[in-house]
Amino acid sequence: MKLQLKISAIALCAATAAHAQDLPQAGSPWFAAGQEAIQALIDRQDNTNRAKNVILLVSDGNGVGTNYAVRMFAGQQEGKLGEEHVMPYETPDFHSALVKTYNINAQTPDSAPTAGAMNTGVKQRFNLINLGGDAIHDDCSTVAGNELTTFAEIVTGMEKSVGVISTARITHATPAGVYAKTANRNWEDAVPDDCTAQKDIAAQLVDQMQAGVIDLAMGGGRRHFVPQGVQTDEGGNGRRADGTNLIEMAQGLGAQYAWNTATFGELALDGETPVLGLFNDSHMEYEADRAEDDEPSLADMTRAAIEYLSQNENGYYLEIEAGRVDHANHAGNAARVMRDGVAFAEAVAMADELTDDADTLIIVTADHEHAIAFNGYCGRGTPILGLCYDIAQIGDKHSDELVLADDGKPYTVIGYLNGTGSVLVEQEDGTYSGARPDVTQDDATDLDYVQQALIPKSSETHSGEDVAVYAKGPWAHLFDGTIEQNVIFHVMHHAVNAE
Amino acid sequence: MLTRRSALLGALAAPTILTAAEQPIKLRELYQRKGRGMSEFAEANVGRRIEVEGFMAPPLKAESRFFVLTKMPMAVCPFCETAAEWPDDILAVYTKRVVDVIPFNVKIVTSGVLELGEYRDPDTGFVSLVRLTEARYG
Repeated sequence: MKLQLKISAIALCAATAAHAQDLPQAGSPWFAAGQEAIQALIDRQDNTNRAKNVILLVSDGNGVGTNYAVRMFAGQQEGKLGEEHVMPYETPDFHSALVKTYNINAQTPDSAPTAGAMNTGVKQRFNLINLGGDAIHDDCSTVAGNELTTFAEIVTGMEKSVGVISTARITHATPAGVYAKTANRNWEDAVPDDCTAQKDIAAQLVDQMQAGVIDLAMGGGRRHFVPQGVQTDEGGNGRRADGTNLIEMAQGLGAQYAWNTATFGELALDGETPVLGLFNDSHMEYEADRAEDDEPSLADMTRAAIEYLSQNENGYYLEIEAGRVDHANHAGNAARVMRDGVAFAEAVAMADELTDDADTLIIVTADHEHAIAFNGYCGRGTPILGLCYDIAQIGDKHSDELVLADDGKPYTVIGYLNGTGSVLVEQEDGTYSGARPDVTQDDATDLDYVQQALIPKSSETHSGEDVAVYAKGPWAHLFDGTIEQNVIFHVMHHAVNAE
Repeated sequence: MLTRRSALLGALAAPTILTAAEQPIKLRELYQRKGRGMSEFAEANVGRRIEVEGFMAPPLKAESRFFVLTKMPMAVCPFCETAAEWPDDILAVYTKRVVDVIPFNVKIVTSGVLELGEYRDPDTGFVSLVRLTEARYG
């Protein structure tokens, strides 16, 4: 009986395939594109090589929704309607899965334990980095005995090099996940007076450089490496209360130091001399605000890092973070989210271009999503940062009519569930009330526009919604279905150890 | 109920103030990019009354004639910063009257006489590089 069913199923498939080109829709470009898409999937061959190199690219806060908006924006910047655009990591040569991002004790994750999960293979607790589940936030006494081993430490034992780059402070949660173990993600330049079980995050980075684990680190956060009372390269103030100048310490260990585009260009990418690049006192600038002669782009740093790390014939691990997609989302400022999202895509394309699928596992993901949401019903090609245009009855593109809400006002495509853009405003008696402000297309598409939100909060929040992971190279096909975030480590670990 | 604030907001929304000068500028138009000083517009308009769009950051001191204008609502993001930090591109505003606080996320237009140069506020210690004086807002 079972055999008969199988035979019938095969016969049905064959009949379907034989008649596909006779269907009335067969002449549609959509139909042809669909056929091409499945052929590309049929042609896929699992890559079971051992990975010499692993590159983990994380766009902080770029969940499925945020990524959708960035895709639309990137396409529209190229003159397309937007919906049809394909990001560099959305091509058929990338395998993909959905990722569940929650932390041990948090439905809504933060970037510290999510980075830790990807770098150690286990879920972690909210606001902690690379400590086991028994450690407690802000409690230094729970550090000892709970330190986890990082992927960076594992591959260092395999004589690989390790790099970490970010547009956030290099001491911020996602980059710190590569090299730090801390009971509090905010201990960037100091720990509590009675805390002896761990050092602050900046000091841990330099220690890891000295230990030969970290070979290259580039990002922002200069102030956390400079003593209080000492001016930084750009005239800011150092933050270190312990009086240690970690930049001088790193240089004393033989590291090269760069602090702007010019000194970045002078780095010897020899693969031997450690690199410390600190391009801003705090986070690096948003891509929309970055001056080319002031700070390198994420793609520039990616190119330099790969050139440097590729000198090691044993391979490397490189984590690359677009840290400010998250920050612009927190500000409810979708215009800057989009520009940093495109800069991330350019970094992915750069990493892909400079590496060989045969020996390099490239993983593209996000650590968590935000409380971003999308209104409807908008016509094709509605500017993703603008007001929602109505759907046209003829042709593809939206009509010229704005869609109005029941209050008679137009609205933007993107909104946030909470944040500073709340339409509820604090009144003198402390209560909150209000109406949606009027918004024009010029307002909505301005670089500084903050999208309307519902719940008033001083900063828009993350959400627990899934993110995607995309991967190509050795063992990338293991990414499939819906996975826990810590599984990303296990794919990396399997790939570098495969026989 | 018509409070003083709603009356002020109503006045601000009225066309008289907006048409009293040319189109208000964006706050970012006063600055060059990071660390590069003030814009040509700012240098060219020192001593003139200009109108600037922005948001009133929660005042540092009650019953003051001073507030800080920010280009976006002054979000306090615990996952971006370990402590509240001022953005680079802000505008100190010295008002004609005691400041009537407007919520930090309501857009306002501030009119005042543009001043450049470092100045330390005697009451708050706040150091500014660019200011509006004799300001009114709404």
